[in-house]
Amino acid sequence: MEYMDGSQRNILGIKKMLLEINGIHKKFGGLVALKGINFSVGYGETLGLMGANGAGKTTLFSLIAGHQEPTLGSITFEGQKINRMRPDQISALGVARTYQIVRPFRGLSVLENVTTGALYGAHKIRSIKNASKFSREILEDVKLKDRAEDLAGSLTLAGFKRLELAKALATGPKILLLDEVMAGLTPREVNEAISIIETCKRKYNLTVVVIEHVMKALMRMCERIIVLHHGEMIAEGTPGQISEDSVVIKAYLGEQN
Amino acid sequence: MKNSLKLVLAVVFCMFLAGVAGFANEYILGIGFTIFMYIALAQSWVVLSGLTGYISLGHVVFFGSGAYVFILIWGLVPVWLGVVFSGIVVGLVSLIVGYPVLRVRGPYFVILSFGLAELVKNLVLINEARMYVSMRPVFGAPALYQLYTAMLLLAIIATGLTYWIRRSRFGAGLRSIREDEGAAETIGVPVAKLKLLAFAISGVIPAMVGAIFIMRSGIFQSGDAFTPIVSFTMVTMAIIGGSDDAPGPFLGVIFLVLLQELLWVNWPEVYMIILGILLLGFVLFIPNGIYGWLSEKYFGNKKNVT
Repeated sequence: MEYMDGSQRNILGIKKMLLEINGIHKKFGGLVALKGINFSVGYGETLGLMGANGAGKTTLFSLIAGHQEPTLGSITFEGQKINRMRPDQISALGVARTYQIVRPFRGLSVLENVTTGALYGAHKIRSIKNASKFSREILEDVKLKDRAEDLAGSLTLAGFKRLELAKALATGPKILLLDEVMAGLTPREVNEAISIIETCKRKYNLTVVVIEHVMKALMRMCERIIVLHHGEMIAEGTPGQISEDSVVIKAYLGEQN
Repeated sequence: MKNSLKLVLAVVFCMFLAGVAGFANEYILGIGFTIFMYIALAQSWVVLSGLTGYISLGHVVFFGSGAYVFILIWGLVPVWLGVVFSGIVVGLVSLIVGYPVLRVRGPYFVILSFGLAELVKNLVLINEARMYVSMRPVFGAPALYQLYTAMLLLAIIATGLTYWIRRSRFGAGLRSIREDEGAAETIGVPVAKLKLLAFAISGVIPAMVGAIFIMRSGIFQSGDAFTPIVSFTMVTMAIIGGSDDAPGPFLGVIFLVLLQELLWVNWPEVYMIILGILLLGFVLFIPNGIYGWLSEKYFGNKKNVT
């Protein structure tokens, strides 16, 4: 059943969850990267993840996308356990992630980059012609249309970040995991990026999880924010609550004398 | 319309080449045979190494294995059936061998591929020695014009295959593996499966080429059938021509074979030196090969625009 806010609810009117993270631990040797992470993401939600460097945000994305396996705990996507699947299988279910350190296919054209996502991923458009057509539409969404034929390696940083987004969108995801797609951009580019993401979210009916250091962006986009600190969840709430949370302020700015 | 014209021209050209078999002398047929052989080999190499970036320096392993399978069943089955059979056997075995081999990347894969060819060569050598055989002659092989035509056919199939794969969904997956395997997997490309398929496809035609080659040389000897020079030559040709699309190896082979004929006749003493300098020059200054360079320069390919 679809509701006004785009969410799906069960017969009792309780929100059905798209992604559930249950008791996740991740250790790298002796280093504990994530400790007992529990949260879920509802259909159509925009969730923000914040925390200092090394807090475990990107590790969490890697676990969800299948690049690493959690030491303990489980990850469920649409009711299906995914923490032992390969990245390409998880992508086929409709999970797309972008990389903080961009990973374009530099030797291919911008269009070919996106087309590959459309040919595989969850969409699996079989014909090159249809995949190209769909990819051009996405390039228009992310405002890279006039660079379609150029070599991906020739883009600027802002271009790379948008290409990451376009590749992820082309796979036909249900959930989009955005890892610092605004880091290093100018304020104007940040505003542009926010509007691109919001437009695409509406157009493709997406659920979004964003990792971001640009606070203004996080506050503007997200309905709910989770704060990680040294691998632990220390706070969860609306942007307003988070910005006044004493634990968060302490973790970020230190003790007040 | 432009494409169908190209196709017609290609068909006419191939029919002309096939027609040549009827009246050309041994020398022409011999050169044709060599050119077609290396086109078939270099095109097959491109399917794996050009598209996925897994540079194989041991592609002769398919060539030699095909030749060995063929010589073992020589006389037991009709000749051409034997050729096809050799290709299929080698293709199936590569599906098994490829699984562990393709788990290593970059320079390690290059070394492993080279080592694999040497390993198989020595296994065959040991096996032959145990059976007290040092070489196996091939009696009653088909005439040269038949071998020439068969090789032409393989060259056409290999070129068509590379051309088609390069433009297919499969090829898009392979090229994304070349650029960034991890990122490819993230957008849903089943990398392990595609690499394995490319590896096997890349081995079938070289195996058939190997089978036909020993009918031409008239003898099977594992040292010759598995010689690294065949591997090096096909790599050189593909790189000089351009290894990202079918026209590349085609141009590379024609260029090198003609150059070889020219140098060999006129300056045999500096032949290898010139070849070495040429390869260095291409890798350093024209890494996209003749075809890449031409398409950038003359066909308005917008690549590398900043």
